[in-house]
Amino acid sequence: MQIAILSGKGGAGKTLVAVNLVNLINLSTYIDCDVEEPNGKLYFSSEYNKKDINVLVPKINYKKCTHCNKCVDFCRYNALIDFLGKVKLLPSLCHSCGGCKLVCEFDAITEVKEPIGYIYQGDYKYHQIYGGELKIGKESGIEIISQLISKADKEKINIIDCPPGNGCSVMESIEQADYCILVSEPTIFGLENLKLVHELTTLYNKNIGLIINKANDYNNIIEDFAKTKDISIIGYIPFDKELAKLNSNQQLVSDNNKFKPYFIKIIEQIKQEVDL
Amino acid sequence: MIIALPTKESGEKAFVSENLGRANYFYLYDTKTKEGKSFKNNFLNELHGAGVKTAEFLLKYSTDILITPRIGEKALEILLETDINIYKSTEKIARENINDFLNDNLEKLY
Amino acid sequence: MKKLLFLSGKGGTGKTIIASSFIKLAKSENFADCDVEAPNLHLIYKKGQINSKPYYGLKIAKINADKCVNCGICYDNCRFGAIDLNDSNHQINPYKCEGCGVCGFVCPQGAIDFVDSISGSIDLYKDNYLFSTGSLKMGSGNSGLLVTEVKKQLDNHYEKITIIDGPPGIGCPVIASISGVDFVLLVSEPSYSGFSDLKRIIETINKFKIDFGVCINKYDLNIEISKEIKAYLNKQNYNFLGDISYSEKVSEIINNNEVVVDYDFVVGKEIKNIYLNTMALLDW
Repeated sequence: MQIAILSGKGGAGKTLVAVNLVNLINLSTYIDCDVEEPNGKLYFSSEYNKKDINVLVPKINYKKCTHCNKCVDFCRYNALIDFLGKVKLLPSLCHSCGGCKLVCEFDAITEVKEPIGYIYQGDYKYHQIYGGELKIGKESGIEIISQLISKADKEKINIIDCPPGNGCSVMESIEQADYCILVSEPTIFGLENLKLVHELTTLYNKNIGLIINKANDYNNIIEDFAKTKDISIIGYIPFDKELAKLNSNQQLVSDNNKFKPYFIKIIEQIKQEVDL
Repeated sequence: MIIALPTKESGEKAFVSENLGRANYFYLYDTKTKEGKSFKNNFLNELHGAGVKTAEFLLKYSTDILITPRIGEKALEILLETDINIYKSTEKIARENINDFLNDNLEKLY
Repeated sequence: MKKLLFLSGKGGTGKTIIASSFIKLAKSENFADCDVEAPNLHLIYKKGQINSKPYYGLKIAKINADKCVNCGICYDNCRFGAIDLNDSNHQINPYKCEGCGVCGFVCPQGAIDFVDSISGSIDLYKDNYLFSTGSLKMGSGNSGLLVTEVKKQLDNHYEKITIIDGPPGIGCPVIASISGVDFVLLVSEPSYSGFSDLKRIIETINKFKIDFGVCINKYDLNIEISKEIKAYLNKQNYNFLGDISYSEKVSEIINNNEVVVDYDFVVGKEIKNIYLNTMALLDW
């Protein structure tokens, strides 16, 4: 079972919801797919094992290269250039499509592994914690996300903390999800960004539920939209200064008796949608 | 010596562009013949690696000096391996930047 | 002419709220929203005539069913899993195709064409101001060029202050938004994740040797971390521009599509103070 947590807007409360659900669901696994800004692990004290993630990039054998420039012309990402009569690779632009190797008529290109970041794994109480980090300057973390998703344990509940936005990395994160939770905040900005992720979950035909975080007197902004799109609201997390402070110190607010009930209620609602 | 600048329009009276890889034109000036020529940037709308293709272009035309307000990491990575020297442009037209360079009035970037 | 860019690293720290206030305070008639993955500034400044044009991404593959013999060679060679098999018919999944061209190269039937794909839109509002914005379609990667296009629509000879609301993160769109600006205003928030993202964005800006200043939004939600951030800025000799308090009134104002500095309350005053500090640094 995979449950993905997403929100178009940054700072809406995705990670708050994800880490606290993990904390309260027995034996559940936490998978942080926000590999550009991985903050989820700050909530779980653990020792982490790291594993490098590689992609394939071309390596040119200059003894065989005749400088015909077919590979340079083929590369749509401009990762290969004609550098003073020699083909040169810019690994940071390479998408690992393998095209250069295919077009080379002189067998001068092989593919070698290039690290783009790593994934880490740790234990917190009875939970498995996974996450990854993309190296600064690398364009795409899709390979890291796909490796992370493959760590999901089919026998258990896996909570997937998605990246912000609605780009390809979010698509990769939710592709196998059985249920998606959208997290929004009651402002017109929150609504605008909720519309974007809702479009995405609709495209993928996902079963979804909505949580309003920082709930206040303006919840109707989000509720009205949910009504017109027939989205069930599975929970509210009211704005509270104490909660905000605990969370900003990277503490699990569901360990606090005042805030635990919000998350228990959300879990009860999820149970009506999927088997936990 | 060939001096290159990214420019907003064609010709020596054009202002220097804010970007290198996404400049509309490149102005190349040869100090020997005292002649300059504008080239349209064919890689302006590349989604990936516009700066890299610019570096390739500059090498192809045997540039010695590049005058630009800034340079992206990838283009820089390539040019640092060459003998091209990079100077910081000012908010003037191409011709004046060239004169300033020839009179030693430009700051060297790399 | 001065160009001022708002960035934050972490999303949701309040960039747009402060940028919309600066537009009012500077009486700017030339501004842009470069957060093309989740634009919001148009919710406040959307008056006037709009001129919209499509933004094209890399050309993507399209299988010509008349020529395709379903041999599967494209399927075997695509590294992006972008070729779907429906009842042994091969089709391109446009959301996964990265336009690399491999399938077109290997296809023995010449059955694959590369076609324009609209990846978003570039919009320009004209009122008594020029407001440039854009939006990226879902699933489209690489927004750096779109950011550049959005910035290009601005009047580059504008004499007053141009204000640009930037994207979150530290990636390609952020770097595209930095080029050509005079000053970056970083909006931070007091949490450990916010603090670590602030350091990453400063590292990115420093590569461009552009001057910047930092303000802390909702500083009173965690005064201890706010102090830590200020101590760090002080130690590094970076500009600190001011604190902004948490107030429920802010969402009330925003939800009415209005600008915070039009109201006389503590947050409005604090933003005005940050504005004055910024202008002093800009020599304006």
